[in-house]
Amino acid sequence: MSTRLALFILTTLLFSTSAALAHDVTPGDAGYIQEIWGVHIIPFIYLGAKHMITGYDHILFLLGVVFFLYHMKDVAIYVSLFAIGHSVTMLLGVWFGWGINAYIIDAIIGLSVIYKALDNLGMFQKWLGFQPNTKAATLIFGLFHGTGLASKILEYEIAPDGLLANLLSFNVGVEVGQLLALFVILIVMGYWRRNPNFLKQAAYANWIMVALGAWLTYIQIAGYITFPQQA
Amino acid sequence: MYNAPQPKLEDLPSKRQLRRSSIIAGIGAVFIGVAVYMPAELGQDPTGVGSLLGLTEMGEIKQQLKAEAAADAETHSELEPSLLDDILGLFVSSAYAQEAWQDSITFTLEPGEYTETKAIMEEGATLFYEWSSTGGRVNFDLHAHAGSDAVTYEKGRGQTEGTGSFETPFAGNHGWFWRNRDEEAVTVTLLLRGDYSAILSEEK
Repeated sequence: MSTRLALFILTTLLFSTSAALAHDVTPGDAGYIQEIWGVHIIPFIYLGAKHMITGYDHILFLLGVVFFLYHMKDVAIYVSLFAIGHSVTMLLGVWFGWGINAYIIDAIIGLSVIYKALDNLGMFQKWLGFQPNTKAATLIFGLFHGTGLASKILEYEIAPDGLLANLLSFNVGVEVGQLLALFVILIVMGYWRRNPNFLKQAAYANWIMVALGAWLTYIQIAGYITFPQQA
Repeated sequence: MYNAPQPKLEDLPSKRQLRRSSIIAGIGAVFIGVAVYMPAELGQDPTGVGSLLGLTEMGEIKQQLKAEAAADAETHSELEPSLLDDILGLFVSSAYAQEAWQDSITFTLEPGEYTETKAIMEEGATLFYEWSSTGGRVNFDLHAHAGSDAVTYEKGRGQTEGTGSFETPFAGNHGWFWRNRDEEAVTVTLLLRGDYSAILSEEK
C-alpha cells in the first residue's frame, strides 16, 4: 500500500468520524413525547394545560371574549362555545392528520384577536350598521383555534400506541389551562371594572388588542412568505 | 357605546371576593409551581406529588434530552473508533458476498440508556438489516447527517423487531440511534449486510 493511499484512507476516516455518531435529540416537550408510547393521562393533561397557558394568542382572544362579560352565566356560555369549537377541530384535526400550514392558521388566529377587539369596540355596528352574532363568532373562531392546536400537536408526533387516550387527556389539559388563565383574567378584570373610568380605559385597551392582533398576523404572514414550505 | 353597558357596581364581585380569589390564585400558583411545574420540567419533586402523578419521569427525560442536545452541540462526535478496526473493516467487509449477513451486533441497554450503530457508506450504497430485541421494547431513529446533508429513514417507538433496507442519498455514516425507554434491560441483536466499509458502534 503506497503512502499516498494510506494517507487518503486515514484522512477519509478522520473526516467521516468527526461527523459520525452525533444523534439528533429533540429537547423539551416534543422530545419527551417522541420518546414515549402508551397511555400517559396526567403528563398529557399537563402538556395541554401548558400549551394553553403559554399560547398567548389563545389567551389574548379569550381576554377579548370575556372583556365585557361579568355575569358568570355569560362567561360560562362564551367560554364553553370557544372550548367546544377548539376541541372539535383539535381532536378531529389530529385524528385525521389535517396538517394546515402553521403560519396561515396562526395568521387567522391573529385576525380573530383583531375581530374580537373591533367587535368589543362596537366597530361592526358603526361600519356595517349591524352586530354580527357574537356567539357564532366565538364558536367559529374556536374552530380555527383548534385547527391551530392540531397543527402543533401533529408536530409532536404522538405515538399511535395510546393516541386517543393521550389526545383526549391533552384536550382536557387545554380546558384546564383555559380555566386557570380565565380565573386570573377574571380577577384582574374584576378589579378593573370597579374603576369608574373603566369604559374609557377599555376603549384604549381594545385598540391595543387590535394592534397586537395585527402584529401577530403580520409576523405570521411574514413567516409564511419567508418559509412557504414549512408545514 | 360598545357592546356592553357600564357594569353596575352591585353586579360586580366585591373587593372582599376579589381579594379572596387573589389569595386562592396565589396559593394555587405556588402549589402548581412546586408540585407540578418543578417535577414536569426539572425532574425535581420536593413534595412527592410529581412522582405520584407520573410527572417526574417527564421532567427527568426532558432534562436528559436537554443535556444530550447541549453535548451534541458542543461536540459532534461521541466516540473515537479504533482506526485499525476501521481500516481492517474497509478491506475485509467489502469482500463478502451479498447474500449472507456480514455483521451481527448485539448490545444491551439499561432503562434510559442509549447507543448508536452507524455504517460508513458511500453515496448510492444500500444497506440491508434485520433486528430484534429481547427483554423489552426499544426506540430507534435510523438516520444520517454529514455536513448540511441530513436524512431520516425511519423512526420507531416501543418496537421489538425491524427489517428492511435503505439507499444512501449522500456519503457518510448511516445508522441507528437506539434508546431503551422500557422498564427492563433490553438486548438488541442487529444483522447487517450491504455496501458499507465499516461499522461504528458505541461500546457500553
